[in-house]
Amino acid sequence: MILKLLFMVVFFLSQPWLAASAERPGVVGEIVGQGGQKFPVAVSPLKNLGANTADSPRLSTGIADAMVHDLELSGWFRVLDRSAYIENPQSSGITLGTFDLKDWATLGAEGLVKGGFNVQGDEITVELRLFDVYQNKERIGKRYTGRVRDFRRIAHKFVDEIINQFTGIPGVFNTRIAYVSNSGGRFKEIYLSHLDGSEKFQVTDNHTINLSPDWSPDGRSILYSSFKDRSQTLFLFDLDSGREVKFTPRGGGRYLGGKFSPDGQTIVATLESGGNTNLYLLDRSGNVIRRLTDNPGIEVSPSWSPDGKQIVFVSDRSGSPQLYILDLQGGKTRRLTYSGNYNTSPEWSPKGDRVVYTGRVGSRFAVFTISVDGGEPRKLTSESSDSEDPTWSPDGRFVAFSSNRAGRYHLYVMQASGDNQRRLTGSGGDDTKPSWSPRLN
Amino acid sequence: MTPRFRMACYMFMAGITLIGGACAPSATGKPDPSATAGSKSPGGDQRAGEGQRKTGESDTDKSSLKQLQEGKSTATPASSPLKDVFFEFDRYDLTSDARTTLRANADWMKSNSSTRVEIEGHCDERGTNEYNLALGAKRAQAAREFLSTLGIPADRLSTISYGEEIPVCKEASESCWRQNRRARFVIVQGRSTS
Repeated sequence: MILKLLFMVVFFLSQPWLAASAERPGVVGEIVGQGGQKFPVAVSPLKNLGANTADSPRLSTGIADAMVHDLELSGWFRVLDRSAYIENPQSSGITLGTFDLKDWATLGAEGLVKGGFNVQGDEITVELRLFDVYQNKERIGKRYTGRVRDFRRIAHKFVDEIINQFTGIPGVFNTRIAYVSNSGGRFKEIYLSHLDGSEKFQVTDNHTINLSPDWSPDGRSILYSSFKDRSQTLFLFDLDSGREVKFTPRGGGRYLGGKFSPDGQTIVATLESGGNTNLYLLDRSGNVIRRLTDNPGIEVSPSWSPDGKQIVFVSDRSGSPQLYILDLQGGKTRRLTYSGNYNTSPEWSPKGDRVVYTGRVGSRFAVFTISVDGGEPRKLTSESSDSEDPTWSPDGRFVAFSSNRAGRYHLYVMQASGDNQRRLTGSGGDDTKPSWSPRLN
Repeated sequence: MTPRFRMACYMFMAGITLIGGACAPSATGKPDPSATAGSKSPGGDQRAGEGQRKTGESDTDKSSLKQLQEGKSTATPASSPLKDVFFEFDRYDLTSDARTTLRANADWMKSNSSTRVEIEGHCDERGTNEYNLALGAKRAQAAREFLSTLGIPADRLSTISYGEEIPVCKEASESCWRQNRRARFVIVQGRSTS
């Protein structure tokens, strides 16, 4: 079972930077054509502000390492190599005026992250600051308190603050990915982990096949489908209590998968009965509210628009799997994809403007996005390997997916443009079907 | 420029990349390579010896899920009275070979009238899991309906789909995939005493 997060931001040490977005229109002419540059930042190991213990070096570098991981994963920063750092983090200060910014300017750093920590029993207090090296200013200062073993979450939360400073929207690193893995052997079980692979948690351990994990919008439950009772159906697992609810189709059939509505009150589920699959609207206990589609073919993989008014799904009504959008109020359905003969696993973006999905290219599968108004799809991954099952980050600026480009299937994250594709920490087995959590506390 | 200004520039460039990163749509209209593959089904006879039938018990008595749990092959043994039928990629219509096999399966069920059979629908690994679960259900249902038209009572037949989850063959090749695109017949009750 998952214990609740204990972090609190105790106080602000400075006024946050103005969001950079307000200044964007003024710089258009200067930067076009210079793409590919990333903001150079240094992340110092943290200073131990308390008594030295055997754990101190691990925490000093571990918190910094977690921040480096996130900053690089974002694709917006170039983190300068730690081996070139000049000052000793344990003897230099962590507030403006108590260390020499020139030591960092000479390395080429324009931003600098420094901080300190103090361990009391199993509790850790961490101060973190972002400095503007050229302007000699502190841009963010935060103090966090939490359990020692959760120290990485403090790092994730601070990087989310850094990204908020630059973009006006917080980052998404204090989140988790739910996914399916066969790392334990021949069975497929559901796992959760942070993007850096830490705090891995095994949701299912029933030695069968478990698929299609989906987060509740409050981040406290996981909906998944399972063969553990032989006939496939959905289960709703509560992360706080470890209890779960089984969805039993009243009229027979099998639930293949489901997705929470944006308000968390309902679930759209795929029900297979007599060979036909259709979409049904369920309540959180699995009771049918109403049937949404009524076709003799395959209707699967639904995903909600962020306003909860439309559902994108896969249907083979045209003879091959294509994406369709169902308007829940009017009941009308329109076809979204026309290029390619195999388009599946759609997920509607949090911004509402695009749908990410898996499409077949020749004999391979790639991740695409398409405007919800249709038009030409954008291919985000190479067809030199297979990339499948895309899922949006909660801010819509990243996409996680699974790919076999390194042999087995592993999880990857890229920017929504397709840039900066990076592999997440692997389990040792095939990791598939990622589902990105909402922002966590 | 000031650092703040510079930071704004960097972030703006990230935005430009996002807009400019659109790729040309790829050609996806190529014919399905698997659709042109030979239609001859790789029957169980090609895997003779893989699962010798013990006296009075066959692996076709166990569901693929049970076989998976026990760490055993989910291939149908050559000695099984009920043979697998095979499908083309992303298809659930029955080929003439599949109909021939189903007629033989129906004949066996008629002469072993106490048996009930669960028809498992399976897919190859390509495509997405949920679509393949639906496709497997279609395959199992297609086999069930054909057996019904041959006179097998509906209450002797049930279906289940395992999608792409329990393959017989695990290599990424068409010769392997075609073995996985199958309907498998599991005798769930009233085993033949012959």
